[in-house]
Amino acid sequence: MASNILGIGQSALTASQVGLSTTGHNIANASTPGYSRQAVVQGASLPQNFGFGFLGQGTEVSTVKRIYNEYLGNQVQSAQTSKSGLDSYYAQIKQIDNLLADPASGLSPALQDFFSGIQEVASNPASIPSRQAALSSAESLASRFHSLAGRLDEIGQGVNSQVLSSVGAINSYAEQIANLNDAIGRAQRATGQPPNDLLDMRDQLILDLNKEVKATVVKQGDDGYNVFIGNGQPLVVGGVTFKLSNLTSPTNPSKIEVAYQTSNGDLVILADSGIVGGKLGGLIEFRNKTLEPTQNALGRVAIGLAITFNGQHDDGYDLDGNPGGPMFSLPSPVVTANSGNVGITADITAQISDPAALTASDYRLQFDGTNYTVTRLSDNFTFPPGALPQTVDGVEVDLASGAPVAGDSFLIRPTVNGASGIGVAITDPRLIAAAATTGAVGDNGNALKLGALQTANIMSGGTSTYQGAYSQIVSQIGNKTRELDVTSSAAGKLLNEATLSLQNESGVNLDEEATNLLRYQQAYQAAAKVMQIASEMFDTLLTLGR
Amino acid sequence: MRISTHTLFESGAARIGELQSGLVKTQQQIATGRRILAPSDDPVAAARALEVTQTQSLNTQYGANRQHAKSALGAVEGTLTSVTALLQDVKTTVIAAGNAALSDTERGFMATELSARLEELLGLANTRDAVGNYLFSGFQTTTPAFSKDAITGVVTYDGDQGQRLLQVDATRQMSVTAPGSTVFQGGQDVFQTLNDLVVLLQTSGAPSSVVLGTHNDNLDLALDSVLTVRASVGSRLKELDSLDYAGEDRNLQYSQILSELQDLDYAKALTQFSQQQTTLEAAQQSFVKASGLSLFNYI
Repeated sequence: MASNILGIGQSALTASQVGLSTTGHNIANASTPGYSRQAVVQGASLPQNFGFGFLGQGTEVSTVKRIYNEYLGNQVQSAQTSKSGLDSYYAQIKQIDNLLADPASGLSPALQDFFSGIQEVASNPASIPSRQAALSSAESLASRFHSLAGRLDEIGQGVNSQVLSSVGAINSYAEQIANLNDAIGRAQRATGQPPNDLLDMRDQLILDLNKEVKATVVKQGDDGYNVFIGNGQPLVVGGVTFKLSNLTSPTNPSKIEVAYQTSNGDLVILADSGIVGGKLGGLIEFRNKTLEPTQNALGRVAIGLAITFNGQHDDGYDLDGNPGGPMFSLPSPVVTANSGNVGITADITAQISDPAALTASDYRLQFDGTNYTVTRLSDNFTFPPGALPQTVDGVEVDLASGAPVAGDSFLIRPTVNGASGIGVAITDPRLIAAAATTGAVGDNGNALKLGALQTANIMSGGTSTYQGAYSQIVSQIGNKTRELDVTSSAAGKLLNEATLSLQNESGVNLDEEATNLLRYQQAYQAAAKVMQIASEMFDTLLTLGR
Repeated sequence: MRISTHTLFESGAARIGELQSGLVKTQQQIATGRRILAPSDDPVAAARALEVTQTQSLNTQYGANRQHAKSALGAVEGTLTSVTALLQDVKTTVIAAGNAALSDTERGFMATELSARLEELLGLANTRDAVGNYLFSGFQTTTPAFSKDAITGVVTYDGDQGQRLLQVDATRQMSVTAPGSTVFQGGQDVFQTLNDLVVLLQTSGAPSSVVLGTHNDNLDLALDSVLTVRASVGSRLKELDSLDYAGEDRNLQYSQILSELQDLDYAKALTQFSQQQTTLEAAQQSFVKASGLSLFNYI
């Protein structure tokens, strides 16, 4: 009987020791990210029948469990991925918003100065200084276009490098998750007990992964996580990872795309629609929905200005009575053959025929062996198939030489290089065609018409001025930035709510742990007392025989 | 409800961060005086402000154009004033020439005076503006408007009929030149009239009053056409003045619109700032108090 009391005391001592160390572990990890508090699950040992009844045999610790709610965990992950996506989109677009914020550095002042210069020529058509001033203001207008386009390019380069680092982070998380899958499986099989801290680490990695890209977890058995991103693209299956990679876009050499490796080792570009949420999703969405359209829209203003201004300039006569030539020079639209094309001799050209009809979209040209089909990429509108040349949205597409093969495709970007490529074609101020009649040095008739272009509705199908088309960009960026600001803070609230719910359940409360400390300390003292009494009882027995 | 200690710190820090960024934003607005720091603050107003700025800058440009118009028309007006005075002097001389008591020699002196006047008139018709352009030669501003044949004395117009227009307001283009052919040879060729007079006075014998009367009438006709141009120049100058007033008025309106679109309401902003400050202080103090409460303080 006495040994039984000692045994009971000892079991209680052990249990309270486990309680104390678990409490200590909780206190130690109170601010560890992703840590779930642990609790001792304790039960009475099986009782023993002594004839007069069952006598308790002390206590037993059955397991140490982590307090974790998978449902709440999933909510946090999905809130996190949308919040991270919106944040990364917002951080990028905010750069453009700030770029356009300063009224002095935008396009407007340069545009206004340019037309003031033209008006001065109208006032003093024969004055070389006036003409030189107009020419200089044209130069500064062109360089303002260049600097805006350059800044947008820089932002694009920034997106590229962030895509790379995001892909790196995703791969590293995938590796760690796969390793943890292994370790957790082994630990669980060996002991039959959950390795709580490893489970926490893995859930935290899933959360971190969701910060980079939206990831879905499918549980495999009791211990394995299979992780999928995008439209079911597997990233981790058990202990195996399918790493992401990157490729230069086959149609746009300055763009880095996310790719994955197929089973036969080929790299395939992951469709942009397949990358949602997280930092990576935000970057891709920003690039598709804001950066490229803005580059194009700015290019469209440059092209519209150059073509319509040149058109009027051609109608006039310069100081020497010669017909006016182009005032601005423009690069041709960019046409890139898909790097997978078979008919590599095909030379597709594009020419802007009507600046008013231009959109800010890019276009895809596909050849099916007989007909060419043009698709406007901004809204995926498909124009009726036909032979070349075709004119779509003010752009004439033609086959200059060679022959494509069925299945070949080309990317046509009519406006992308407008802002970066616009230049002033004349350097001699005498060549400004201010006169409407030839051989009339004091004639300012054409300069007046050139000046009037500033307020003419010649952009966007004849509905807006040059300034209006630019204001539209500012307003679009402003609206989208504001929208993202609002949705991102709403997503932040949602994330907070979800995190709060999870933390309320899983997080460590130090006051609670203080209480537990006291509880287990007292239990320990009481158990020790039980053992002391058992020992004293034994001593009493021993003294009996003396 | 149980709450984790981590949450207590996290949410406290997050809330204080939010309040701080709000405070900084208001501070930036106060420091710059601008309500719109970036287009996203008010996209509609930001885009509208760009349009109004362009309209205002155009309005300013029209003002500059009006200054050009005024100086061009002023030069025409100044020259024509001299021409008028000259022709009136010539008239006095012609009337004096009608005196039958004058000898051929005395009329010869008058002829010499008139031919000097003719040269002076030619000089006025070939006036250049401040930058060296001929005022009365239409678009041929580098060519003198009139040239005189050294032998026959016939004066011919070498300019063209071009009239330089200036955009003096959004919808008004104003002619700021007058072709010399209209001014000096419009109805009656003033050079021819003077030339004829010189020839007449060089001829011996007193001219009949009828002949002199015809010449006098011709002079009046020439003077009339100069005065007609002067009147039209004068009314254009007056129109420019009233356009100036309207332009200044509009400028003020545009500034006001821009101010309403972009500028900060200081009273509102300062109130908001002190409100945010109070909230932030309260949040900080309550956070310190709440986070200081721990059971560990007692064991």
